[in-house]
Amino acid sequence: MAISTDTHFVHKVWQENELSKMVEGGVPYPLVSDAGGKIGTLYGVYDEQAGINIRGRFIIDPDGIIQAMEILSPPVGRNVDELIRQLQAYQHVRQTGGNEVCPSGWRPGKTVLKPGPDLVGNVWRVWKPAEAFK
Amino acid sequence: MGVRVGQQAPDFEAMAFVSGGFKKVKLSDYKDKWVVLCFYPADFTFV
Repeated sequence: MAISTDTHFVHKVWQENELSKMVEGGVPYPLVSDAGGKIGTLYGVYDEQAGINIRGRFIIDPDGIIQAMEILSPPVGRNVDELIRQLQAYQHVRQTGGNEVCPSGWRPGKTVLKPGPDLVGNVWRVWKPAEAFK
Repeated sequence: MGVRVGQQAPDFEAMAFVSGGFKKVKLSDYKDKWVVLCFYPADFTFV
């Protein structure tokens, strides 16, 4: 879901007058109103002086635990590909019960690591730095 | 105030605009699902 300090009334006008012109039917997730910044304060992203929430992004797992967070200042947008990559990686780790972990640059299909005594000092044999890119 | 990875995400309840209507949403209603929370400065801004 997306959260700003705008009211739900403003969210409606934005969805109907602008977002729906960029995404057919409008964005498919809830536009949540945090008027007053109470939620942003809980998450440490409310800027009291400006009265707005800065760009904080949190991945929360099915148990309600925060697995990842990223905070950007207002003038630069997020990378949605990177968000999806992180989500897929956390989902993979959860599906394997933590028996497989995802090294730098991991995407579905790339090398996973199986932590254990045999892997200590041997990551270089199974994973190459080139895999961190692309 | 703030949060950290590995911690329980603070629950909240707030009004939202969802699929054409107004609705109260609660984070804990999404238990058993993956949730992405994206805070942003304001509607009708540029980025």
